[in-house]
Parts: sequence; C-alpha cells; structure tokens
Amino acid sequence: MPRIIVCLKQAVDVNHIKVDPTTRRLITADAPKKISDFDKNALEEAVRIKEKLQGEVVALTVSAEDAKTTLREALAMGADKAYLVTDPSFQDSDALITSHILAQAVKKIGSFDLILCGEATIDSYSAQVGPRLAERLGIPVITYVRKLSLEGNHVIAERSLEDRFEVAKARMPALITVIKEINEPRIPSLPDILKASKKEFVTWSLDELGVSKEKVGITGSSVQILEVLAPKGERKQIKIEGENPHEIAENLAKALIQKGFARR
Amino acid sequence: MVFDFTETETQRLVVKSVKDWCERNLTFERVREMDDKGHPFPKEIVEGLCGLRVVMGTVPAEHGGSGIDWLTQGMIAEVIGYYDPTIATAAGLMAVETGWGFTLDRYCNETVREKYIKPAIRGEKFVGIATTEPGGGSDVAAFKSTAKKDGNEWIINGEKTFISGTEECKKWGGGYWINVRTGPIQPGAPHRNMTSFFLPIDAEGVEVQEPYRDAGRMAISTGGFKMKDVRLPDEYKLGEEGKGFYYTMEGFDNARMMIAASCVGIIQRIIDEAVPYITERKTFGRPLAKYEAIQFELAELYREMEALKLMTRKTTWMQDIRYKEEGMPQKISKAKTFKPTDVAGWISMIKWKGPSLALEAARKAMIWFGAAGYTKEYILESAWRGVMSYVVGAEGGLNIQKIVVARELLGRDYVPYK
Repeated sequence: MPRIIVCLKQAVDVNHIKVDPTTRRLITADAPKKISDFDKNALEEAVRIKEKLQGEVVALTVSAEDAKTTLREALAMGADKAYLVTDPSFQDSDALITSHILAQAVKKIGSFDLILCGEATIDSYSAQVGPRLAERLGIPVITYVRKLSLEGNHVIAERSLEDRFEVAKARMPALITVIKEINEPRIPSLPDILKASKKEFVTWSLDELGVSKEKVGITGSSVQILEVLAPKGERKQIKIEGENPHEIAENLAKALIQKGFARR
Repeated sequence: MVFDFTETETQRLVVKSVKDWCERNLTFERVREMDDKGHPFPKEIVEGLCGLRVVMGTVPAEHGGSGIDWLTQGMIAEVIGYYDPTIATAAGLMAVETGWGFTLDRYCNETVREKYIKPAIRGEKFVGIATTEPGGGSDVAAFKSTAKKDGNEWIINGEKTFISGTEECKKWGGGYWINVRTGPIQPGAPHRNMTSFFLPIDAEGVEVQEPYRDAGRMAISTGGFKMKDVRLPDEYKLGEEGKGFYYTMEGFDNARMMIAASCVGIIQRIIDEAVPYITERKTFGRPLAKYEAIQFELAELYREMEALKLMTRKTTWMQDIRYKEEGMPQKISKAKTFKPTDVAGWISMIKWKGPSLALEAARKAMIWFGAAGYTKEYILESAWRGVMSYVVGAEGGLNIQKIVVARELLGRDYVPYK
C-alpha cells in the first residue's frame, strides 16, 4: 500500500493575466489562484494509484500566501491529508529554496514510497523543483512521465521525450514528474467537497521546519527575477501573394525557408 | 441577524467544480449545437451534472441528495445560467428537477422516493411538474383534472399542457407532480380540494402529446399529456389530501429562485461577451464602448445585475432560514423569522426581475452588436429567445409575480382574482 506525497503549487491562473499595453508588465493582482495544471495531473495519478492499490495520498504545498482553499480542493479530489507550509517570507523564492523547504517538509511528514510533481508550474515554468527535491532527498527521479505503474518495490514510468518515448524503472522511494497527457484530472463532486472539509489539514510555519527566514525568499535565492514582460507582439506584416493557390503556397514555403522556420 | 456576504470555502469549491465541468462540457459550441438540434436534452449533460451531485443538491443527504442550502444551490444555478444562457439546462435541471424535485421529496413517501427521486438525483430518470391545464396555469380555479378514490386507488382524469421535459421523461422514465381536484370547487376558495400526486409517465392511461415547437430553450421539450382513467395507488399521493395548492406554491417558490439565480449568470455572461466586443469594435474611428449610449446602458445593466444577485442571495438565505425553522413537513413547526408569504413576496420580486432583466440584457447587447448580434455566431439571440419563456409564463408569468408582490403590500382584499 503505497504512501504518495504530491507537491502542489498554488499558481496564478495564467488565462486571467492581463498585460499593461504600455509597460508590457503582467497584471496578476486580479487573477485567481489555482492548483498548477500539471500538479493537478500528479494528484490525479496519485489518487488513481490509491484507488487501485489502496494506500495514502498526502498533498503538500509551500506558499507565501494563504493556500487553504487550493489544498482543500486537493482533499476534495481524493488526497487524504494536506500539509501547508506558509510564510510571507517565501515570496520570490527560487527553485533552489522551494526544493529546500519542500525537502524539510517531506522529512517531517515521514516515510513515503513516491513523490509526484508536475513537470513544471504554469506560472514560473522552471521544471527544476521536482528534480532538485529528489536530489536533496537522495532518491531517483524520472521526469516527463506520461504513463506510470508500480510493480513490487519498483516504479515503471514511460517518459515522453522530444522525439521518442523511454521506459524507465526505479526502486522506490522515487520522485516522478508527470506531463499533462498522463490523465484528465477529475472534478470533485459536491459530496467530495463536503467530505474534504472534515479531512486532516496541517499548517506548518518555517520555525516548525527548522528553516531560517534569512535563507528563503529573495535573500536566500540565488536566482533573482529582475523583470517579467510580455513579449512584443509586433507583426512583420509580410503579404504572401501569387497568381494562383499553387504559386501562393510556393511563395509561402520560400518565405518560411528564408526566415529559417522550415527546411527544404 | 448578521449579514455576511463572504462565500464559504465549500461554496467557492462547489462553484469552481461546476465551472470546471461547464468549461469542459457546456462550451459555446456545445450549447449552440444543443439549441440548434433541439430536444431531447443530452443525457450526458444530465449525467455529468448529476455526477457532481449538484442537481437536487438541497434534498437531504439521508434521502439521496447532498443536503446543501438554497443559497449554495442558487450559486450553482448562477454558473449553469452563465454557461448555458439559452436557459435550457437551468430550466430542466435547476428549476424543474431541483426546485420541484426537492419539494416533491418533502411530500412523497418512500416508494416514490426510491423509484423516482433517487434515480433522478443520479441522472437516470426525470421528475417534473405538470400543473398547467388548457384552461390556465396560475388560475387555479380553471383546473379541471380530477381524482376519485376507489378503494386504495385513485382514478385520475384530465389534461396537462405546457409541461417541461415531456419527451425527456418519456425517453428516460420518470414522472410528474400533478394537481387534481379531489372535491368540488368551493366558491371563493378554488384552491381548496386540490390534491397533489406523483404520476409515472408510463402509467396506463397516460397519453403524451406531441411537443410544442417553442421559440427558445430548444434543448428541452415542452409538451403535454392526457390522463384517462389512470389508476394510482394511494401511496402516490403527495402529503395530505386537499392540501395540494399549498405544496404547489412551495414548489413554485423553489423553482422560481432557481430561475432568478440562473438569470444572474445569464446576464453576467452577456456582459462578459459584450465588453470585449464593444471595446474592440470601432465605428467612426472610436470603439463602441466610447459612446455613452452604449457605456451607460452597460453600466446600468451591471448595476441591475448586481441588485438582482443581492436580492436572489437574500431570498435564498430567507428560504434557508424558513426551512431550518420549519423542519421537515412531518414535524413542521411554525417559522419564526420569516413567514412563507414573506419569502414568497421576495421570490416573486426576483422571478419578476430576473427573466425581464435577462431579456433586456440580451436585447440591448444584440443592438450594441448590430447585425452580428442577430446571428448565431454569438450566444445573445439564443439567450433572448430562451429567457423569454420565463417572462411569458414558465413558473408563473411576469404579471402573476406583480400580483404576489402587491398582495404582500396591500393585503388579500386587493387581489384581482377575488
């Protein structure tokens, strides 16, 4: 009966981000928060494993902001227990620091067989937190997984790479990062939501994890995000013309090759 | 009395679940297809929403429901209205099944609950309401259908018309709440001697008529049926003999709240569709939104929608207090905070305001959009056709609601039907 920890980020819903047309800065203040998309796939996969093999699913979130509703949704989706590590000083922590806090939390949670993460988060998209966490815990990691099964003490995972699929096997405990294709996350029903309000919810502060405030956030991070700007949406306004569809297609192909978007 | 407009965590999550489901399943293209194709209502939409257990969510958990309050159920109806502004989904699953289904559950016995209500909550069967007769809907004195006792059975004769979901009920199985006379019309009190029954659609002697060709909310059928010597066991009677009128008014109350709430969603959708259009579309070198003729109408519409939302949420909150104080009908105690007629007055105000405002919103937005608004490229025209059904009569027409509100203000001596 596997014990699975799922790392979930409360991310900005990128579909609701607006861009200031003059400065190109992102306006995120009004954008709602949600479980980062691929993390939701990770949670769904964990719940499916539990439904098949029994066991326990633990949801873990590290957040500078209040993420209670987000984690409550994870409980409604089928997690048995939720841990929230929260402190305003986490703001702007990089992948190095986030993985450190997560590692401390995982150690405090106790024994586990699997850690599931999304391949990356929809807002910062570094794709580093999962592998860094595995490194800190000294366990194997398999990334970009689209199919997963457990056999005895091993996890077998099919990875989706750019030009091929790769099947990898690792002894548990191990960390897996999943991609969107692995499943379609369930939508919790009303009774699921009502039940979730009765499930165990643990909140930890930095002190409880033995992490000092100076070592998190901007001060503790080695990478600082100086600016996030929307790309310039300038169009080249090239018109592809021709006498007939064949000639237009020919000219379009030539233009694409010339710009380096296609090869002959 | 504490007023708190903060949504609870449960309400936020339920609303999110319904939104997430609608984003996947009630897309613009799907709703357009449903409206173009017409009834019967797609079973997978029913099963999906019933799978979330948000249809008849207010039915107590021990009766197979989810036991949520009307305030939360109203928020769910807002989302359904938003994603299907043709109002077909809200009409079938929120007003009819949720509003009437909940009330039916209060007065039915275990046989009807097990055979019809629980399967309807699971999305397997359809339960609806059939009060209107060829002689009238809100005019109860005109009702002619009768039931006569014969041993432990009732023999029912009569006709019901303008009934939502007859084709769906026929196809999926289920039945209707009907009102029939079980005694003579009493002068000055035509509502007496009215008894409610649950009529299975497949009962012998029920003849379902061809559905009407409606102007809107095409995805759900409207039809009628004749009842000729239909024999119903006594256990299909709802509540006590002769009290059908009161139970029916309660059912109308619950269904009307759901319609008002879904209209909040419809208007919000119309605003959300209109804002990008009027800010992008330019005439005479300026976006439409720059013209006061349009932006003032938009501002007014938004104000009215927020007013409707507040009124609707207050009304559902009142109904929750009333039900909490009254308890189940078997052990009914007198409500302390609000009388049923207090709540009915508010319900009539929102049922009057909701569909009228949604109709006005659709009409105005169509005019802002110009010729484009008159096409099926946008959802506006189908909302316009759909919500009209709740202005003209479904769940009590516009003028009936005004009579109820005036009755609360002036007293029963001034009702026009006395």
